[in-house]
Amino acid sequence: MRSKVAQKILDETPKDVRIFVRKYGDIVVRINQLLREKGFTQKELADKLEKRPSEISKWLGGEHNFTLRSLSKLEAELGEEIIYVPKRESFHVQVTASIKATVKRRRYAGNQIEFDHALKRKESTPSPIPMIA
Amino acid sequence: MSTFELEIWDDEAEKVTFYTVRWEDASQSETDKFFETQNNIDANATQTLLSLILDTIGTDYGAIGDFFNRFEENVTALPPQGRVVVGELMLRYPNFPLRLYALRIKNREDLVVLFNGGRKTGGTNMESESLNMKFIEAKEFAKKIDQALQDGSIVIDEEARMLRSYNGSKEIML
Repeated sequence: MRSKVAQKILDETPKDVRIFVRKYGDIVVRINQLLREKGFTQKELADKLEKRPSEISKWLGGEHNFTLRSLSKLEAELGEEIIYVPKRESFHVQVTASIKATVKRRRYAGNQIEFDHALKRKESTPSPIPMIA
Repeated sequence: MSTFELEIWDDEAEKVTFYTVRWEDASQSETDKFFETQNNIDANATQTLLSLILDTIGTDYGAIGDFFNRFEENVTALPPQGRVVVGELMLRYPNFPLRLYALRIKNREDLVVLFNGGRKTGGTNMESESLNMKFIEAKEFAKKIDQALQDGSIVIDEEARMLRSYNGSKEIML
């Protein structure tokens, strides 16, 4: 059971908003996890990044938006990845196939027409049906 | 404080059961009032907060502290003396305007009561008058819920990840 109001708003929510919120949440949780694991205080992190502690507090408190540059600085100091971008090698596939067919002549109205000649006829012109065995 | 019902707001999320409060004579819960009102003012911010609750908290992580600002209040009237923690749900993003008050039942990550909230219009929440009123109201709801948990009027059904009245009923009036 879900609140009808919540369901209605959720149904109207663009996909990109939900993707943004989930990714942003992932980043916040990941940074906090790494800080706890490494045992860094905000002051220590500020010293390492040569920033004022108040600035780090704003980063982690959500008053500053993360940029790719700020995340890269954090990754460098914390020594672990915060964002992982999957990489794929591009590749081409060449499909080679052969079809073996026997083309037979068809005889009609006392006149013999080569099959390939019949194929060149305009579509609008009734043509003998090619027989492929 | 008047009587209110503690009712399920969402139990479809994988990791959390969300409750809300509804005044006895009200047609809507406090959380539905909040979302409906805010959705008419700023749909994008409302959708963002809802996604935080249902996707990030409800599905991905549970009600972990990273998504709650905490305000601790002493509950002085209770024997035994305890503490109830009313949290504020928000996206930690620059200038995000919405605040929704919430209580994690016994600090658990799988049972959360959502209250009402508002828009932060001043420098602090206390300077946003309507928001401050909702915070005071949320504290009163939270105290009463906490008291009911302590005296056994409400019990936690671990298996079903839900709250029940002392007699096992799903209907909880406080």
